[in-house]
Amino acid sequence: MRSLIAGVGYINLSDSSIGPIAAAELKKEPWPANVSVEDLSYGPIGVVHTLQDASPRYDRLVLITAADFGAKPPALRWSRWSSLLPDPTEVQRRIEEAITGVIDWKNLLVILQQFEAIPSEVFVIAIQPVKTDFGMELTPGVSALLPEILRVARELAMKEAAAVVSV
Amino acid sequence: MCFKNLPIEFDEQGRMTLREDAARSFGLEQRPRNPGPQPLSDQQIKTLLARNGYIRDVDFDPVTRIAGALAFHAVTDLQERKVLTTNSMATLFRGYEVIMVGRDPRDAIFITSRACGVCGGVHSATAALATEMAIGVVPPPLGVIVRNLMLEMEFEYDHPLHLFLLAGPDYSQLMVEQTNPEVWEKAKTYLAPGRDWHGYETIADIMRDLNPLQGKLYLEALHMTRVAREGLCFLAGKYPHPETIVPAGVSTTVSLQTFNEFYVRLQKFFDYAKKVCAIWDDITEFFYAANPLYKETGRRQKSMADTGCWDDPDIYDGTFVNCDKWGERRWATPGVIIEGELVTTKLTAVNAGLEEFVDRSFYHNWEGNSFPHDPLGNPLSPFHPWNKQTLPKPSGTNWKEKYSWACSPRWDRQTVEAGCYARIWTTAAGQKLRPNPFMESTGTSLKMLMPQGTLPEKELEWKIPEVWNAFERNRARAYCIAFNVTAAMNDWLKGLDLLKHGKTEVSTPFEIPQKGQQRGVGFWGAGRGWLTHHAVLQDGVVANYQIVTPSTINASPRDPWDHPGPYEEAVLNTPLLETFSDPADFKGIDILRTIRSFDPCMPCTTHIFAGDRVITREVNTCACGVDEEENDHTH
Repeated sequence: MRSLIAGVGYINLSDSSIGPIAAAELKKEPWPANVSVEDLSYGPIGVVHTLQDASPRYDRLVLITAADFGAKPPALRWSRWSSLLPDPTEVQRRIEEAITGVIDWKNLLVILQQFEAIPSEVFVIAIQPVKTDFGMELTPGVSALLPEILRVARELAMKEAAAVVSV
Repeated sequence: MCFKNLPIEFDEQGRMTLREDAARSFGLEQRPRNPGPQPLSDQQIKTLLARNGYIRDVDFDPVTRIAGALAFHAVTDLQERKVLTTNSMATLFRGYEVIMVGRDPRDAIFITSRACGVCGGVHSATAALATEMAIGVVPPPLGVIVRNLMLEMEFEYDHPLHLFLLAGPDYSQLMVEQTNPEVWEKAKTYLAPGRDWHGYETIADIMRDLNPLQGKLYLEALHMTRVAREGLCFLAGKYPHPETIVPAGVSTTVSLQTFNEFYVRLQKFFDYAKKVCAIWDDITEFFYAANPLYKETGRRQKSMADTGCWDDPDIYDGTFVNCDKWGERRWATPGVIIEGELVTTKLTAVNAGLEEFVDRSFYHNWEGNSFPHDPLGNPLSPFHPWNKQTLPKPSGTNWKEKYSWACSPRWDRQTVEAGCYARIWTTAAGQKLRPNPFMESTGTSLKMLMPQGTLPEKELEWKIPEVWNAFERNRARAYCIAFNVTAAMNDWLKGLDLLKHGKTEVSTPFEIPQKGQQRGVGFWGAGRGWLTHHAVLQDGVVANYQIVTPSTINASPRDPWDHPGPYEEAVLNTPLLETFSDPADFKGIDILRTIRSFDPCMPCTTHIFAGDRVITREVNTCACGVDEEENDHTH
């Protein structure tokens, strides 16, 4: 079982930058050989190439990001990513966005899936952001969630496949 | 005499002086000549609307879903099949100029690199050039060569992405069959002249493989971006946002092995260039044959500008004083084309002719003229980037007043466009290339020798086109894949020669002066054309920093004289050739082809801060798609 913990998002956009910030924190920790930590905020096409080249391929991806899931901010949610691809027109639109520079977690997963570079298990750890415009730090509310984000990421990445739902 | 509108004259030695009568106003009271189309007035449109039910507003927001950063508004007459008026809006504020103030100039390499998610290395390089000019330091020859090779390969990443993943689907079976079934019928029997090079018997066969997601050309381009990225990473360490580009060189350790690994990737573009040029030649000529009105799609005056790139390590010294000399020795010649004529290849003139206006943009105008002259004493406009200040003024959109976060860069107060095609055009017309085995500038064309791969050696020749339109932009971009190869081959051989002679240094030590004022400008180019960074340093930190990107130029709104920007002008000229019987079925493919032919990249233009409407989708897309039933944990 090989796991990748990854952050995705823009830097310097306040709570929207939770992915890169969390990945940087997790990178400081010691990890067993079967777990890697990366910041995947460099464009989905490049990430496709990276994950296709991984040897052995990753079995599980734990993605940390900001997302609007309708909760009152600040909030934290983690969920399993559904494997249903949108229709081809929508996939192409997301590719157009990706290759013109948009960094977005959902585009990333759709494009990884389209080009069969996605690990078989994907979990998304998302925060409902308080602030999304320019800012080099997290808001206090989201900052307070950071330890829990890191804990969930660790557990999702390290658990055996059958036990994941019990985190 | 390259300026027709700016009040600048040249003496016998070629030095620029400001005309005496324009000393106070810089000639702003004179209305510049504009050969482009004039949009209808509000009243004219209202009159037409009142009597014609076929006129409608068409909003493309966003045109390429590029983070919602570009919105395009057009009023069309679907009965007459004409575009009546256009507005191109950048809807996000970028703000890098504001962020840079007060920082160490070396930070620009890393901060401005984030101005774009596509142009991941060129901003770093341009920032490094601006800094090295400001502080007076020059890279060793191999440092120059490695920087060239990195950015030649970066363009090999950019062009296939655009041609086959962005623009290609507009010419695919799935699109053409839907929007112009009569063209698709012709494509089925139209033999492809380039079949010996690309392997497709008919144009319909090409169109099938242009289909998004599944077409072979689409997937092959995706693969070629991997090849380019690998080649780039051997030199840059990582891409995008390489951390190995520094003022006065690079921090990469290079060896013969590095060069060999790079070559393995570069040679894959020998055959690919032959194939891609044949494909876009055939697509272009087929559409012209299917309906000659396609020559009008995206047509605009042949006016464009480029700063050139890929320096000659034997002459590049990073100084403004010598920039005309080292600029003309670049593999891509700097220059400006106005109405089809090459009016200059001098970087001093390219620089002096540049102004940025904010009359239609969400910024305050600024006061003062800090630098009336460049370092050589040539006059500079108060609207030149070295004099510009970025003063955001958010306000509501008004088509007749302010409607964009992009400003309006102009050259000699004329609307010029940016693109890799400007680079190949100025090089072809300039006849400045130093002797080399791979390319020749004839004045009317650029001949490029593609070495043997699986396919035999072939001389490709890009000819300056008779008309300038969306198809020719794409065709020229295809030939730029070959242009990049020829420049890279020359630089690769030069790099090997330097290694052989033990000249392995790639950077020069330097210190940032902590006192006084320095100025620098980085003249380079992105995959999609012109890129400049103008920097002013004061006592060791950045006092002013101004970036002009290709998408700022192309997506610019109208200027103080109401002349439209390049997108706006090109769409105004575009006939609506799409087949539809009911206006409700109108998709606007001709308009989209036009805008996409510029290789739009609005994250280049606008990025950091956004209003609520757009940013929500850009960075915080809704969480639907996540399985909410089984494993949802909310805290």
